[in-house]
Amino acid sequence: MTNYPKMATIKVGDELPAMHKRAEEAELFLYSAASFNPHRIHYDRAYATYEGHEDIVVHGPLQGSWLTQFITDWAGPNARLLSVQWQNRASAFVAEELYFSGSVISVDQVNGSVELEIYERKEDGSVLMPAKATVKLEQS
Amino acid sequence: MSSSLIPPESLARVGEILAGPVTVRIDRRESQRYAYAVGDLNPIYFDDASAKAAGYRTLTIPPLFITHALVTPEPASKLRTDGLYEDSTSVALEVARMMFGGEEWDFLEPVCVGDEITGTTRLLDLDQKEGKKGPFVRLVRETTFTNQDGQVVARSRQIGIAR
Repeated sequence: MTNYPKMATIKVGDELPAMHKRAEEAELFLYSAASFNPHRIHYDRAYATYEGHEDIVVHGPLQGSWLTQFITDWAGPNARLLSVQWQNRASAFVAEELYFSGSVISVDQVNGSVELEIYERKEDGSVLMPAKATVKLEQS
Repeated sequence: MSSSLIPPESLARVGEILAGPVTVRIDRRESQRYAYAVGDLNPIYFDDASAKAAGYRTLTIPPLFITHALVTPEPASKLRTDGLYEDSTSVALEVARMMFGGEEWDFLEPVCVGDEITGTTRLLDLDQKEGKKGPFVRLVRETTFTNQDGQVVARSRQIGIAR
């Protein structure tokens, strides 16, 4: 049994285990297909660069779903994600190494939930996506 | 203050329904294809016993899948050059480009495979702002998702930045 975080012991500053993602063409194609998204910038390199992008663009909602995975992998199946918010500050491109990190910024013992601050960064450390989330954790 | 990027007829649409209501039954295979595409192989999306042990009625879904479950397919003849569908609900603005600015989600009730989910999208807010690179428009679309029992299960606010 994995040791998931508990309300009884969680504290401000606790960090989520880092997660790293890298999507190749095939993964981006699968996400376009699974989300029925025909937007050409996600599979046609010539078109993406014609539109001024560096390369094939990683879908914003795919990064959103990586974000929720980052949270739920840490919190465990008995926790409940209550809210999440993110900003897309810059584009991520195919085959780029992307890094998720996050920590607990407040603990609400009355409601049994914690607030998280999360960042998705590129390899050079620049922030692609700052995010916040609220999660109801297991009591003990 | 620069000239308005928002035509008065677009401003008048704030509060209007842009899409829906559309009702869809949450499908197990579609949800699992989404989870595979994300690389999120959480057992609560794949294994009924794991989902029930975690307190769900049956398999639950990747949280953001709900928005994709509601996508209504259209014929390829309606695709534009950029690959997107012609959008009769888009809000007219005096801008060159619309970018994905971010999203805000509230998850209020669990969503499981087999649920009948209805989504309705409204134009929540349309606002011109001054940025470092000049004026831009912040457009917020809010989608409310309800289930077969009339409970609101989730709300999403999609933020578009146009300049």
